[in-house]
Amino acid sequence: MSEAPPEVSSLAAASREAFAAWVAASAEGRLFGQILIRRCSSGYSLRHAEDAGESNLEAHEDPRSAREIAKLTERGEYRPLKSSPNLRRGWEIRVSDSVELAVAMSYLYPAGIVHWHLHRGGRLGITNFRENATRQSGLYKRVQRLSDRGVQDAARACCEDAVCLKKTLWDVDERTPLEMRRGDGEIPCPEPCSVFISFARRVRLFEREERDETGLSVSEKEDLAALIEAAASGAGEVEFAREAEFEKPLNERRMRYRRLTLVPRLRPEE
Amino acid sequence: MKALVIVGHGSHLNEDSSLPVYEHAQRIRGTGEFDEVVESFWKEEPSMRHVLDTVESEEIYVVPAFISEGYFTQQVIPRELGLEGPVTRRGSKTVRYAGPLGTFEGMPDVILERVGDLMRGRKTSGRTALVLLGHGTDLNKNSGGVIYMNARRIRERGLYDLVEVGFLDQEPEIGAVVEGVAARNVILIPVFIAEGWHTRETIPEDLGLTGEVTLLGDKTVFYGAPVGTHPSMANLIAARARETAREEPVVRSAT
Ligand code: SF4
Repeated sequence: MSEAPPEVSSLAAASREAFAAWVAASAEGRLFGQILIRRCSSGYSLRHAEDAGESNLEAHEDPRSAREIAKLTERGEYRPLKSSPNLRRGWEIRVSDSVELAVAMSYLYPAGIVHWHLHRGGRLGITNFRENATRQSGLYKRVQRLSDRGVQDAARACCEDAVCLKKTLWDVDERTPLEMRRGDGEIPCPEPCSVFISFARRVRLFEREERDETGLSVSEKEDLAALIEAAASGAGEVEFAREAEFEKPLNERRMRYRRLTLVPRLRPEE
Repeated sequence: MKALVIVGHGSHLNEDSSLPVYEHAQRIRGTGEFDEVVESFWKEEPSMRHVLDTVESEEIYVVPAFISEGYFTQQVIPRELGLEGPVTRRGSKTVRYAGPLGTFEGMPDVILERVGDLMRGRKTSGRTALVLLGHGTDLNKNSGGVIYMNARRIRERGLYDLVEVGFLDQEPEIGAVVEGVAARNVILIPVFIAEGWHTRETIPEDLGLTGEVTLLGDKTVFYGAPVGTHPSMANLIAARARETAREEPVVRSAT
């Protein structure tokens, strides 16, 4: 690990110092997820990348204020997945040193710095879907039965940059790579996360459904009906399901999955 | 260096579940007892799979923010953290794993502090029953036992005319307990880790509670916040960690 000062022994400390050095080495600052991090006279400054040129930002000096910032979206919705591209804007955190920088980052992108550091050094251990699924128990045990096709579709619906900014590094298994755009960002994803597993469970339940003479499953019909009702009630009225509320029809990831698996059947000629 | 890792359930849907973990972590940071205090969750980030990599300390104390011994404390947490027992060696790190909070000897005191907060400035006359409300069965069978254990420990102190237990998902069902208890005043305390759908909605709805104090027929029901959100839970978590320091690391022969 060339970036890490040799006296630093723990992985966490080495990652922190490497990250701070990486930030300091760039005059214009670094982009990590949706955050722009810049070296400044008093230490480091963090803000939403889209606020790069803003001067009127709510100022924070406690690195732990990052937790509140990362908790809710602009519209006040809970964020179960911190790498979702829905971080709110309008704030700046100024921290004095690399330790505080790491604390702030740990709330904005939990474990992000360590994974970034390991990945850059080619040392990040990857856990593929099948291996992760073997560990699952209880409610999630059924993800072990998800087909390869199901894993592929679930990953495209759940993990692409439109919904998660991490770079998806895991595969279905050793021999079956994911067929998706893995993402362009700096934050690696070494293993399916709990949101993905919960989504995979939902997809497994979809997979098991039978289709009737219309060629549609019960849940597909339910989703189409919900979409029609939502659209018919007027744009202002549509209430989408929460980010990880996969049991409800109007969930973005669920709809992304339908776009992959249902739309081609509804419009076969395209 | 010493680190405390508090492991909570967390939620994909709202902040209720993780909030007490964050708050207790912050309180414990304030005491300076640990060099690092880190939160980790089953359903939120950082996940248990990755949290230990983010910790600098070599001496790590893991305390589950769970009431009962059960599926999470016995299966999920050890598996996800890669623990081998009460003490696990991982490279240069020693990870000590504490038991759940509800079985700890300090738990009755936290429950009583919760009662104290609820009843402060409130006068009662006639017999008073304390009713501990538990969730009931999960995938393991121990979850009711811890509620009984705390009821027994509090009963031994002789503070209330009656100390009873009731559950959401097993017998005796809480509604019947509150209705049948032979006391004018019923102090109802959910022995839960966090506020949530049950404490805010299903319990008040099922029992017909309208707030902290409800008149139900000839009874007055005082309904407290969950034990787990009480500030003194932070002390209990730290004490739970301290207690595990007594466990000797298992020495394994080098291979
Ligand atoms: S598993 Fe998918 S959704 Fe979860 S963090 Fe990784 S890339 Fe994002």
